[in-house]
Amino acid sequence: MAMRSQIYEWANLAAAGQTSSIRRVTASDAVAIAADTDIDVFIGGFGNNITKPAETTATQFVVIEDIACSPWNGGAVQVRINTTDYFQNPDVTDQVGIPGLGSPYPRGAPSTATGTDNVLSSFSLYPDVYVLPGQTWAVIYRVRTAVTGSTSATTTGVAAFVKYTLYDGPDALIANKLLELGVTVNPNNVDWYKRTLIEQQHAAVTTGGSQ
Amino acid sequence: MAMRSQVYEWNGGRDTAITTAEYGQQVSIFIGGFGNNITKPAETTATQFVVVEDAGCDPTTYGAGAAGTDGILTGQRAYVQVRINTTDYFLDPDNIGNDGIPGTASPYPRTVAVQPTFTLYPDVYVLPGQTWDVIYKMYGSDVTFAAANQQAFVKYTLYDGPDALIANKLLEMGISVNPGNVDWYKRTLISGATSA
Repeated sequence: MAMRSQIYEWANLAAAGQTSSIRRVTASDAVAIAADTDIDVFIGGFGNNITKPAETTATQFVVIEDIACSPWNGGAVQVRINTTDYFQNPDVTDQVGIPGLGSPYPRGAPSTATGTDNVLSSFSLYPDVYVLPGQTWAVIYRVRTAVTGSTSATTTGVAAFVKYTLYDGPDALIANKLLELGVTVNPNNVDWYKRTLIEQQHAAVTTGGSQ
Repeated sequence: MAMRSQVYEWNGGRDTAITTAEYGQQVSIFIGGFGNNITKPAETTATQFVVVEDAGCDPTTYGAGAAGTDGILTGQRAYVQVRINTTDYFLDPDNIGNDGIPGTASPYPRTVAVQPTFTLYPDVYVLPGQTWDVIYKMYGSDVTFAAANQQAFVKYTLYDGPDALIANKLLEMGISVNPGNVDWYKRTLISGATSA
C-alpha cells in the first residue's frame, strides 16, 4: 500500500467548554472563530485537531488533489508549504485562498448557513500541489465574517476538507524522479514509471542472454 | 464470471438496530452485530482478488442553529474506514488511523444537496488470503436518531480464478488492476500464443 488515497475533514466542533479536541469527540459544540484569523485545520487550536503538524518524512511524498470548505461567512482555504502560501494575488501579495463558494464542502451545500440553494464546485485543483519529502504543510481556514459558537444567540457550524495521495517508500522515490523528469505525479504515471523500469530490466536480461 | 462487480449495502435499522450507545464506537458493516450482517468476515481465498472502488455512508451537513446546541448538524457525523487484516487504510497526517471517509464527502445516497467530493483513487487492493472490513463510526448530534438513516455502501470488483492470477501479475508489473487491464493482459497472452 505504497500509494494511498487519504482524506482529512475538519469542523469547528469540540468537546463542550473547549476550543479544540484531539480527533473527534461524540458530545461536541460549535466553537467561535474570529474574522480574518488564520486557522490551521491540523493544529490550529480550534475544532478537531491532530497531535503534530502535517509533514512528510524523507520517504514520503504528498500530492494534494482537492480542498474545500463551507461556503458561508466568506470562508476560504489556503495551502501552506513550510512558510509559503500557495495561492497568491496577481500582484504577488497574500490572499485567503480558495473560497468556499468556489469549492464548497459538501458539494451542493447552500451559500449561506441557513440557505436552501445548492452551490456546486467552480474550482478544480489542477495542477495538484506537491509536498516534497521533509516539508511541512498546512491547510489554513479563514472566514471574513466571524463564526458564532455555542455560547452565542445562534450557533454556526463550518467544515473544511482536504483530499490527498500519500506516496510512501519506493513510490515516493519514483514520485521524486517523475518530478525531476517534469512528469505529473499521479498514480498512473507512477505505475507507468514502474513498467518502464521492468521493461528495461527485461531488455537487459534478454540482451545479456543473447550474447 | 471471473470478474464480477459487487456491491454491499448496510442499513443500521435492519435486524438488530444500531443505537446511540454506539456513538464513537467502531462497527463492522459485515459482522458488527448491528443492521444487516453476513455470516463471516469478508476475506479472499487463495484464488480471489478484490479491488475496493468506492465506499460511502450517510452524510451530515452543517448550518446555523439555536444557541448552546449542536443542532447545526443534519446528520449523525458518520464515517467509513477500510481495514485490511488489522491495518486501517486512511490515516491522519500524523500517521494515526482516522475515522475514514466522511459521509459528507462520499454520501450514500447521493443527493443534489450533498454530492461527492471524494473519489477513492487509487483503489484499495485486497490480496489473496487477506481479511478486509468496512468500519462504520458515527459521532452523533442533536438530530433525532433513526437507525434506518444510518447507512453505508461499498462497491468492489471480485476477481476469481484465472483473473485473480492475472490481477496479481498486473500488480507485480505495476499496472492498475481493473477490468480493462485484465482484458488487455488476456489479449496480450492470446496474441503471443497466436504468433508463436
